[in-house]
Amino acid sequence: MAWVAGRYALRSVGRNLRRTALSVVGIGIGCALALFMESLNRGRDELFARMGAYSGAGHLRVVPEGWRARRDPRLRLADGRGAREAAASLPGVAAVTVRARAQALLAMGTHVLPVEIVGVDPQNEPRTYRFVQKMQGGRYLRPGERGSAVIGKAAAERLLVDLEDEVVATAVGPGGRIESMMLRIVGIVATGSEEIDAGICQVTLQDVERLSGLSGPGEVTVILEDWRAADAARALLAPRVARGDEVLTWGEIAPEFQGHLEQDKATSRFVSALILLIVLLGVASAQLAAVLERRREFAVLSALGMSAGRMVRLVFQEALALGVAGGALGLALGLPLVWRLARAGLDFRKYMGSSYAFQGVVIEPVIYGDLGVWIVPYVLVVAVGATVAASLYPALFAARTDPATALRVAQ
Amino acid sequence: MTETIVAARGLTKIFDADGQPVHALRGVDLEIREGEFLALVGPSGSGKTTFLNLVGALDVPTSGELTVLGSQVGELSKRARALLRQHSIGFVFQAYNLIPVLTALENVEFVLELQGMGPERRARALAVLEELGLADLAHRRPSRLSGGQQQRVAVARAVAARPRLVLADEPTANLDGENAEILMHLMRDLRERHGMTFVFSTHDARVVAHAVRVVTLVDGRVARDEQKPGEAPHPILPGIGKPPEQVA
Repeated sequence: MAWVAGRYALRSVGRNLRRTALSVVGIGIGCALALFMESLNRGRDELFARMGAYSGAGHLRVVPEGWRARRDPRLRLADGRGAREAAASLPGVAAVTVRARAQALLAMGTHVLPVEIVGVDPQNEPRTYRFVQKMQGGRYLRPGERGSAVIGKAAAERLLVDLEDEVVATAVGPGGRIESMMLRIVGIVATGSEEIDAGICQVTLQDVERLSGLSGPGEVTVILEDWRAADAARALLAPRVARGDEVLTWGEIAPEFQGHLEQDKATSRFVSALILLIVLLGVASAQLAAVLERRREFAVLSALGMSAGRMVRLVFQEALALGVAGGALGLALGLPLVWRLARAGLDFRKYMGSSYAFQGVVIEPVIYGDLGVWIVPYVLVVAVGATVAASLYPALFAARTDPATALRVAQ
Repeated sequence: MTETIVAARGLTKIFDADGQPVHALRGVDLEIREGEFLALVGPSGSGKTTFLNLVGALDVPTSGELTVLGSQVGELSKRARALLRQHSIGFVFQAYNLIPVLTALENVEFVLELQGMGPERRARALAVLEELGLADLAHRRPSRLSGGQQQRVAVARAVAARPRLVLADEPTANLDGENAEILMHLMRDLRERHGMTFVFSTHDARVVAHAVRVVTLVDGRVARDEQKPGEAPHPILPGIGKPPEQVA
């Protein structure tokens, strides 16, 4: 048998159907907009994390201590092999690769281009660096291949080289010794960003070791199956790397990029909060009107011995009913929007071109929303939370009803 | 000797009306004993409702002492006054004041629920409605009840928890003569059967005729206090206990 108080609250919601309907529509629209924004936020978070990770940063990276502050490409891992094996043994790891870097000049005739040559493991690199998965021209590096390079389209254009041409790479080794080697262009990649393309030059790890005079990898890059697990994976990996090496997350590797992402998130959440605040004020106004209309009734309840706390609970129960109804409507309105957002995405090409780069990360111009089971609890929590919060003042107002005064006025 | 359940000594209540003090009660001395059937009479503005509100712990006195069922009303917290009302005092209002979205049965049941009574409250509420001849109307909402029926449901709500004190402010003011008579007989019958104390305010001379004790208030003071000697309880009207359509 349900409590009478519950039935009372539920039926009270239906007393003024027009007001209730307007409140429910308001909550529903607010929830649908908040749901759309949240889906966009989640989709953008995932996109940015993926873009950041597959633009070379990885979700985790094992680097030599000191790299984070100095970003010196000459630093090498204390135990690259151990770090690679430890990373590969982690649960939820999608790919692991090693890299070594060297500052160099590429020259073709009188054309010179400063680049950061990246020595890679050709077998695993395409699984962690998305731009070499699809070559603009030529092919990717092969394991064990020497004297070959894959360069960016803009780099090729600046050097006036094409496939099968040879360029001279020159770097300064330890002790100031100048090292040079010939590199044959076997592949050209296009990221969509001229700025990034101009700096791409990949060779095998062995070639970078020779050019830089430094042996071993300078980093182990890890791609996880779920980017959200980066912190947990880091906690597992950190104690297993050698002294002198450390594990960074993608946000630490690209702090400006993460800062930009956080700023975007904060803006979106502010907009969502603003929408909800407007809805909340509307609901608060409607609830206050409902309480004022029933002032005599609350006085009677008080006379019957209902405590202030129970009166607050009563108004909250009514708000709960409104919130659940508004949440259901919000879900009904928001689901098609989110479905469309998840399938077609929000296309920003008109504003930013086919792609744009930020802090060395190429950002795709189409953001797809996230659609998952999270939307049901999300809408319910937002709807009920906002409605109950909106009812706080009306509930306190009801609880403060002075029965003698209210009944005297009523009479 | 019956117990004194209400004792007022020099009871005053002053309201503030736009900065002007309004003396609703000016030193009322009055004792009410358990089981009394007391009518408060007097012209409008004489302080009847104010006195009932104070005795019902809906309000606190400005000065003087008021003891209700052993508690000093002026010293009780808001919560303590709510508890006193919940457990010991029943109210009947002039305008019935039933909860419109609840049925007659739920209106009565609600009071028992507030007291923390378990699932047996439904049967208890139904029994009270039956006792007042309202069983057939138990599932009707107030809007589908006549004024007389609504006021009887209000009485059922007031007495369901078996309070020691029932306060009724002009309970017959909105009723016709026949329904007023029925209501007064009902209240006297409840008093006789359950030993409850009834204090009601009224302007109606026919209603006053039912009272065992009549206290007249004038300008916030007790002007007269009459006890009817040898007053016997009224017999139960033949209509009481029958389906309400036949008596309302």
